[in-house]
Amino acid sequence: MAKGIKLHLKVWRQAGPNEKGSLQAYTLNDVSEHMSFLEMLDVLNEQIIQEGGEPVEFDNDCREGICGMCSLVINGIAHGPQKRTATCQLHMRHYKDGDTITVEPFRAKGFPVIRDLVVDRSSFDRIIAAGGYVSMNAGNAPDGNAIPISKEKADLSMDAASCIGCGACVAACPNASAALFVGAKISQYSFLPQGEPERDRRAVRMVEQMDEEGFGNCSNHGECEAVCPKGISITNIARMRREYLKGVIS
Amino acid sequence: MASHSFKTAFRSTIFKKFSMALTGLFLVFFVLIHMSGNLLFIVGPQAFNEYAHALVNLKPFIYIIEAVLLIAFIVHIWNGLTISTGNKKARPNAYAQLKSAGAPSKKTISSTTMIVTGMILFAFLIIHLISFKFGPGFNPDPSYTAMMGEEPIRDLYKLVKEKFASPLYAFGYIFTMLLLGYHLRHGFWSAFQSLGTNHPKYSGLIYTTGIVLAVVIAFGFLVVPVSVYFKLV
Amino acid sequence: MNKKILDSKIPDGPIERKWDIHKNNIKVVSPANKRKFNVLVVGTGLAGASAAASLAELGYHVKTFCIQDSPRRAHSIAAQGGINAAKNYQNDNDSVFRLFYDTVKGGDFRAREANVYRLAQLSTNIIDQCVAQGVPFAREYGGLLSNRSFGGVLVSRTFYARGQTGQQLLLGAYGSLMRQVDLGNVELLARREMLDLITIDGKARGILVRNLISGEIERYEGDAVLLCTGGYGNVYYLSTNAKNSNATAAWRCYKKGAYFANPCFTQIHPTCIPVSGDYQSKLTLMSESLRNDGRVWVPKEPGDKRSARDIPESERDYYLERKYPSFGNLVPRDVASRNAKYACDEGKGVGETKLAVYLDFADAIKRLGENTIRDRYGNLFEMYERITGENPYQTPMRIYPAVHYTMGGLWVDYNLMSNIPGLFVLGEANFSDHGANRLGASALMQGLADGYFIIPYTIGEYLGNETLDAVSTDDAAFKESEDKIKDDTKKLLSMKGKRSVTEFHRELGLTMWDKVGMSRSEDGLKEALKKIPDLKEEFWKNVNVPGSGETLNKNLEFAGRMADFLELGELMALDALDRKESCGGHFREEYQTPEGEALRDDKNFAYSAVWEYQGEGKKPKLHKENLEFEHVKLTQRSYK
Repeated sequence: MAKGIKLHLKVWRQAGPNEKGSLQAYTLNDVSEHMSFLEMLDVLNEQIIQEGGEPVEFDNDCREGICGMCSLVINGIAHGPQKRTATCQLHMRHYKDGDTITVEPFRAKGFPVIRDLVVDRSSFDRIIAAGGYVSMNAGNAPDGNAIPISKEKADLSMDAASCIGCGACVAACPNASAALFVGAKISQYSFLPQGEPERDRRAVRMVEQMDEEGFGNCSNHGECEAVCPKGISITNIARMRREYLKGVIS
Repeated sequence: MASHSFKTAFRSTIFKKFSMALTGLFLVFFVLIHMSGNLLFIVGPQAFNEYAHALVNLKPFIYIIEAVLLIAFIVHIWNGLTISTGNKKARPNAYAQLKSAGAPSKKTISSTTMIVTGMILFAFLIIHLISFKFGPGFNPDPSYTAMMGEEPIRDLYKLVKEKFASPLYAFGYIFTMLLLGYHLRHGFWSAFQSLGTNHPKYSGLIYTTGIVLAVVIAFGFLVVPVSVYFKLV
Repeated sequence: MNKKILDSKIPDGPIERKWDIHKNNIKVVSPANKRKFNVLVVGTGLAGASAAASLAELGYHVKTFCIQDSPRRAHSIAAQGGINAAKNYQNDNDSVFRLFYDTVKGGDFRAREANVYRLAQLSTNIIDQCVAQGVPFAREYGGLLSNRSFGGVLVSRTFYARGQTGQQLLLGAYGSLMRQVDLGNVELLARREMLDLITIDGKARGILVRNLISGEIERYEGDAVLLCTGGYGNVYYLSTNAKNSNATAAWRCYKKGAYFANPCFTQIHPTCIPVSGDYQSKLTLMSESLRNDGRVWVPKEPGDKRSARDIPESERDYYLERKYPSFGNLVPRDVASRNAKYACDEGKGVGETKLAVYLDFADAIKRLGENTIRDRYGNLFEMYERITGENPYQTPMRIYPAVHYTMGGLWVDYNLMSNIPGLFVLGEANFSDHGANRLGASALMQGLADGYFIIPYTIGEYLGNETLDAVSTDDAAFKESEDKIKDDTKKLLSMKGKRSVTEFHRELGLTMWDKVGMSRSEDGLKEALKKIPDLKEEFWKNVNVPGSGETLNKNLEFAGRMADFLELGELMALDALDRKESCGGHFREEYQTPEGEALRDDKNFAYSAVWEYQGEGKKPKLHKENLEFEHVKLTQRSYK
């Protein structure tokens, strides 16, 4: 196999939530272009373990771009340079021999650092708990085809629903706003008759929970859409605002 | 529904942006009118002074308009400040590196400097009011008096000419008006987004309109200082 | 066969009435009493999230645990294709019976009829439930639900949400779960890993978990424990499972006395992106729908180094079309996988590693145009290009089989309760519904049927009939177990050996893949049964686990899981050796037809192999649950 490339890494190391962190330099001498970014970090960790150090902690699970557990801000861009791609599906062929790569955690008040590159995103769960669902108990659903839904609306709903909850929108936003995440969830239900009965309540509760978690205010920079692994549109943020205002007034 | 109170709603991030947007669009409308009025300067002293006179004598509407403008400015500025400080708090630890991911991002120098351009515009506004509205001739002053038929009116034309003869004032003004253009470049379309009116069919149009409007307003305002300073009128 | 040891509690009566009859006969717990019961649900995938939500809706007190930072990330989320339901919306003569039949046959006649029939019956309720939750299933222009076809069946009964069906169903269940969290009925404990089951008086009464952030061992008591922890495919190191998927919770229950059934039944999915190097951490699956238009081939000459496009038509071997003229590229998963292995074994593999075969769309693009292919598979092609850097519109895809699903799991009765009273096992973690091979789009169905529609009823039969004394987390059983865990942790951290956990895992994975993978032989299995215990011994002497037990420490987590994989791998090999027949995903080289197809032995092996732990270093005891087939005729599968 061809020899891989040499990389200089600057990785955020932080021992705990209240410890002070810093960027630490590492060098990897033989990185294959076929590696995924996370596999490159695996190799780094094996190297660190061999040298008797403590490996870099980073969140990941499915490694196929759908669970939303991987994160990382890579050279200043959440999920790295490739469009519509989560970190786990970013591959090293996008880098050249001798490149320096800075790896930082997602940073926001709503996402406190736990250790190294691992952050706590439970704020998203609390926002969903405030209304990101249809309130129905198992067992009393009508037939699936009882209410026709136009294909266009179902597709728009699916566009919004494809959110993987990774939080890159927050990480990339200059204001650390969670508007795209919340907007996507509110939008998903706003297209469906099933979401109708609690539409106002949902929008109001979710937005107010979002604010309570300390996320910033959306200034319409649109960075969120640009880093979203699913390319979710900021149209959903506008829709959230409509839904919220309607909810507040009614 | 209503498990909420209006009090919470008023403090919500969404409502803040909503009021930013409403006041912002109102102010855009105001500067557009202001800019159009300024262009009368090119027509000549008589037209300019008579227009200014008519405007201040539009009683009692002028008081209402001024009051609304004042409120709009206060709300816009106050919300701008609180949003900005809130956003700082939302990311207590800054990135060592943060870059734009590129299209479809709408992040521009304009969008990231709204608070800076806004503050400068605010400072300018005060100087501007002192210089012109409350400047020489605000109280009847023989050296700043022109005639509208039989009636003596304020000679604002003369004041403008005097002010813009100064390079500092002229270029300060030009610079600030370019910043206004920057402010509007993001501000206009962003206001629509904040009002919840983004729609794939129209958002392109709104975005382009914002850019055109920013250019038109900024350059419209440049006409007077440029023509005075370079003695084109 | 001992009836008392393995009482499957299958109700009497005609198969289509069994579930109704059973529901009428089982206990219902009064609302006032439900409030008094504490149910511990481990895992928040489709089975776990739906079970926790449904039980909380009924009024039970639920604590739910997940290994990830949020319940929404469980690996059910990665299922792409869809979910089956016998709705017959397409008017193509689908029925509950047909779904039942397809599933039993697809499982190569190694599943319980009654369980599968109930699954087929409940499939229709699942779709209704999910639509009502706001799952945005694909729809036709008329507004009604759309269906697609899937492998191994003759009707169109698969419901889907783009290529993200698992995600959407999971988010639906997660939403319901979070609603119960909001209502205060569920306590959500994320970033917790179950490390032991606590049994008191022979009943499941609690669990021990590690708080993955603080490293603390936490004790939770309950009246019932629901294990919804998924499958054990990661025993192979490389699989399509998520990195955190593991067997620890199930394995520790096994060591506390729960029976493990059919551990050797694993499913290998034929269309995955091949391994590219030693650093590889996982494999990515692409929907098997690709085989509708792609043609599988290898060069005729072993060791051919030319690139795909330079190999002329006459020097290509379209081996599936050659061997199976009627099904061609659409043979079932196990057949397609095995034949890819054979081709590579003969040295005809392609790509740098020679462990891949081509899946070629050139003919389909010529016939249908690139746009049609883009419409059908655009997402998958993009994903392939993202990972491999190759454009599949121009060069053929390289594919190779990968471990994908495990049909085996903890033994459960018709109520989904294991042999330990109070320990219920749902979803992929149990063994019950898929026999020796699972059909596409059936895993989601099973997870949700178990969670939404079975456990809410059957848990009542246990809680309503038992008198459960209050237990405290100060009970000696908790302490004893915690001490053992702490000892093991200390040992792992203090060893400071020479090899990392990953190195051990890779080595185990290779052995499992070679000897207990797609194709198994007596010699190979015996070799594995020697190698694995040796590796286990070395592991406990020579592993290097960095860091401490008081912080987030992924290597420590993995080390614990690895210790269990080593033991489970051995049981899998043992089970595979013991089953002297080929069926579904279990292919024994000694037992094949003259044409090289799996040869079942219904006379001697129509049973589920149920293993009972006998203690450290002792051979587990085999119990057999005989399978009786009254409603389907046992036939040899043929795809010629």
